[in-house]
Amino acid sequence: MTGMKRSDFEDGMHEELGFHIEQYTDELVRAGVPRDEAARRARIEFGGVNSVMDDCREARGLRLFDEFSRQLRYAVRLLRKTPGFTATALVTIAVCLGANLAVFAMIDSVLLRPLPFPNSNRLVTMFNTYPKAGVERDGSSLTNYFERRGRIPAIESLAAYRFGTAIVGDTGATEREPVTRVSPEFFLTLGTGPAMGRAFAEQETTYDADSVAILSDGYWRQRYHSDARIIGKRIRVDGVSRTVIGVLPPGFRFLSSEAGLYFPLASSAEQRAPLQRHSGGNVTQIIARLRTGASLAQAQAQIDAQNSALEFDDPQAKMMADAGFRTMVIPLHADHVAAIRPTLLLLQAGVLALLLIGAVNLMNLLLIRAGSRIKELAVRQALGASRSHMVSETLVETGLITLLGGLAGVAVGAAGIRLLSLLGTDRLPLGKEIHFDLRTALWGMAAAMVMGLVLATPVAWFNLRGRLGTALHSVNRWGTASRAAQHLRHSFIVAQIALAFILLSGAGLLGLSLKRVMAVSPGFRADHVLTGQISLPGKNYPDPAARTAFTEKLMTELRAQAGVMAAGFCSNVPLSGRSGKSSAAVEGRVPQPGESPRANYSYRVGGDYFGALGFSLKEGRFLNSEDARRAERVSVVDEDFARYYFPDSSALGRRLFQGTDQGKAADAFTIVGVVGNVKQAGLADDAAQGAVYYPNNLQDGEFFVVARTGPPPEALGLTLQKVVRRIDSDLPVNDVQSMDARITDSLVVRRSPAVLAGLFSAIALLLTAIGTYGVLSYAVAQRRREIGVRMALGARPAQIRSQFLSLAGRLMACGMFAGMAGAWLAGQGMGTVLYHVPALDWPVLAGAACVMAVVSMIACVLPSQRAARISPMESLAEE
Amino acid sequence: MGKNADLLPGTLDMLILKAVSLKPLHGYGVLLRIRQISGEALEIPQGSLYPALYRLEHQDLIVAEWAQSENNRRAKYYTLTAAGRRRLREETAGWNRLAAAIASALNTTPEEV
Repeated sequence: MTGMKRSDFEDGMHEELGFHIEQYTDELVRAGVPRDEAARRARIEFGGVNSVMDDCREARGLRLFDEFSRQLRYAVRLLRKTPGFTATALVTIAVCLGANLAVFAMIDSVLLRPLPFPNSNRLVTMFNTYPKAGVERDGSSLTNYFERRGRIPAIESLAAYRFGTAIVGDTGATEREPVTRVSPEFFLTLGTGPAMGRAFAEQETTYDADSVAILSDGYWRQRYHSDARIIGKRIRVDGVSRTVIGVLPPGFRFLSSEAGLYFPLASSAEQRAPLQRHSGGNVTQIIARLRTGASLAQAQAQIDAQNSALEFDDPQAKMMADAGFRTMVIPLHADHVAAIRPTLLLLQAGVLALLLIGAVNLMNLLLIRAGSRIKELAVRQALGASRSHMVSETLVETGLITLLGGLAGVAVGAAGIRLLSLLGTDRLPLGKEIHFDLRTALWGMAAAMVMGLVLATPVAWFNLRGRLGTALHSVNRWGTASRAAQHLRHSFIVAQIALAFILLSGAGLLGLSLKRVMAVSPGFRADHVLTGQISLPGKNYPDPAARTAFTEKLMTELRAQAGVMAAGFCSNVPLSGRSGKSSAAVEGRVPQPGESPRANYSYRVGGDYFGALGFSLKEGRFLNSEDARRAERVSVVDEDFARYYFPDSSALGRRLFQGTDQGKAADAFTIVGVVGNVKQAGLADDAAQGAVYYPNNLQDGEFFVVARTGPPPEALGLTLQKVVRRIDSDLPVNDVQSMDARITDSLVVRRSPAVLAGLFSAIALLLTAIGTYGVLSYAVAQRRREIGVRMALGARPAQIRSQFLSLAGRLMACGMFAGMAGAWLAGQGMGTVLYHVPALDWPVLAGAACVMAVVSMIACVLPSQRAARISPMESLAEE
Repeated sequence: MGKNADLLPGTLDMLILKAVSLKPLHGYGVLLRIRQISGEALEIPQGSLYPALYRLEHQDLIVAEWAQSENNRRAKYYTLTAAGRRRLREETAGWNRLAAAIASALNTTPEEV
């Protein structure tokens, strides 16, 4: 209604009609009718005032509104009369819908929403792969970048980038910042350039001209307080001064990068040479933008063609071909989230099953409710309530429930996002983007509305179908049970049990898989180990000698600390997710025909690294701090390496070269020890890849320091930082964590889904129990009279009880049977996220069946018990 | 009261618009005016008058305003709007065409066929 309040309308109408009747009365009085008689006649001739007023309201389009608000009030009254039902329904919707919204928000942010760049669907990444050498992904080399840019017709723009960190700030106030080094076309390729200043230029890609920087908006605001004249100012990075030439727009975020600063990706002529073509090592990455109209397949074909053309004069070509070398072109977004996609989809499937269970449960509760009101409805129908009125009444009532539940669900969803971030979702790719926004909330309300419609349909059907006559004649307060309605309720219970069973067994599989991964030994003693990352800036530590001086001092001081049992360092610790692979050639060994080159994990270690991490020694000796200083070059390999290259003899005394080729005898490393295999990239790694450990000689300044501690390692974190600061006051220690914490962290993508699946199936179990209990209680109540008669005729309570228990048993058996089939299908779908667990794991299925059986039985026993306790006298006297 | 003719369906709205077009009127006034201008021949059923007025107001063909009546009571007066005037013109023309056509049809003699 427009422009006028409803009460004003009503008052006006009353006054207007009153005026009319008075005028007419006056006219009749003037014509000689006595006033009393005149008033009576005026009213009669006017017709029913109420129906005229109704007609007036209808003329103004108000009647539907009235009807609706009346039904709404009625629905509210009904819901308040049955608080148990109302609370169950609201909580069910809130929890089921909320869980869906939270997971959906995550999927939306990570998988669905395009990257925040113009036409981001044309952005691709490419990387080299050598599958036969066991290297699935090796990034790209600078050579690749220089050879490809501008030469691939399907690609409009191509750029290289490299993630890293840098120490920023003046002496005494330094901080380590994540930075990204990018080629000049980087921002052009993304389609989003600096909001202030300019992007990098081509001449800034050499080491003598690269001292410029672009800041992210956040970094500029936070560190430079949005200084409007920042362009041209100088900042100190790794001890060298750089000029700020640009500031990025707010909201600029490249994939999941937290980089506050961007530097040019500088390189020397040697680093760009053809010999470096395969030197990717997952350090440098390439992104590209497809030309409008060009397809991914075209780009892939052109890259393949270029690779084969280049191989023509490449001395390494044969070996790379043996390694299965190829460059893959993949959409950037899809590639970035590929690892997490199956898990997220699995979670969404699980949570949808939960919603289905909730909806089925509600439908059953609503049907039962409708059943218990069948007589009331029949009476009202007999008194003239129209069919459309009955339908709209059902719609209003279920709609009210689902909308209220939907509102609560939106709140639960928003809270669920917090819970998810506690479970580590903000560390997922694009995880920082996960938030609960208006869009998600609107989706939630729309889903609630659809749910209302879906739930109302069978109830309305039931209400209309309820045969008037029979219901009215029936002596029973519930009328006769419609067989169809009963079948419907029972099949809903079966569906519910089946779905809950699937969820439960799915959670079981995930849990078992997690347990199996956790039971895997990492190959070293992870307890009581403290680790931290140090990055020596090239400016202060220009050569190996300077770096060695630092590490030796650090080792000496660290060992002197109370509580430190052993200390060492390493270019990478296992499970850090950063371990790099490279090749090693065994002296005098000719690769067999068809043998692929093998990439091994390669580490540079110093101090008592093996002792600190607790490696097991299989043969020979560990490396020690003397090895770095001696002229003789030595190395240690792991069992897997030894077994592969020296299956029949000892590895000790054999020699190997770094890289893929046989080198000069003076460059060979003699193997002095064999250590046990360790899990390098993750506990779930099955195929050992071999590892070679070289002594110290840090090639760059990045390394991890490792200390075995007497007390819990966390207690010595500060000591480590203090020791490092004492040696170099500008040097921060990053990522200080115990090894146990690293392992725990590496399991987050397995643990969180398992925890969530467990949570979902617990809710599903509860819902199923409520549903079963509700339906069975209803069945008992409905047949009270029948039971009374049977008991009066001599049936024993035990017979009655077993009748209902066997009904429950039949429903449960059907549900579990269907559930088994579903669980098998679900297990097939989960294959990629399971570790050493078959899709059909009998102990898990049996466990799930037991839990289901116990919960359903508890839900059945109470109503059956109640049936057995019915007193024939009371039940027959009731009506 | 003279001989009352039954109201043809669809003509009530037209008559109300006509009545209001002459002078702003309250509901009872509309009733009296129609009776008067039809030569006492047409009697509006009182119960259907107000729903019709509300409908016409809802269609923006007439507007209502509260004012003092001739006997100093507060009453709701209806006035024709521009849209109402247009509608009245159209309906009058349509009605005249229809009436002429029916009259001509009814006056036809056998010779004219």
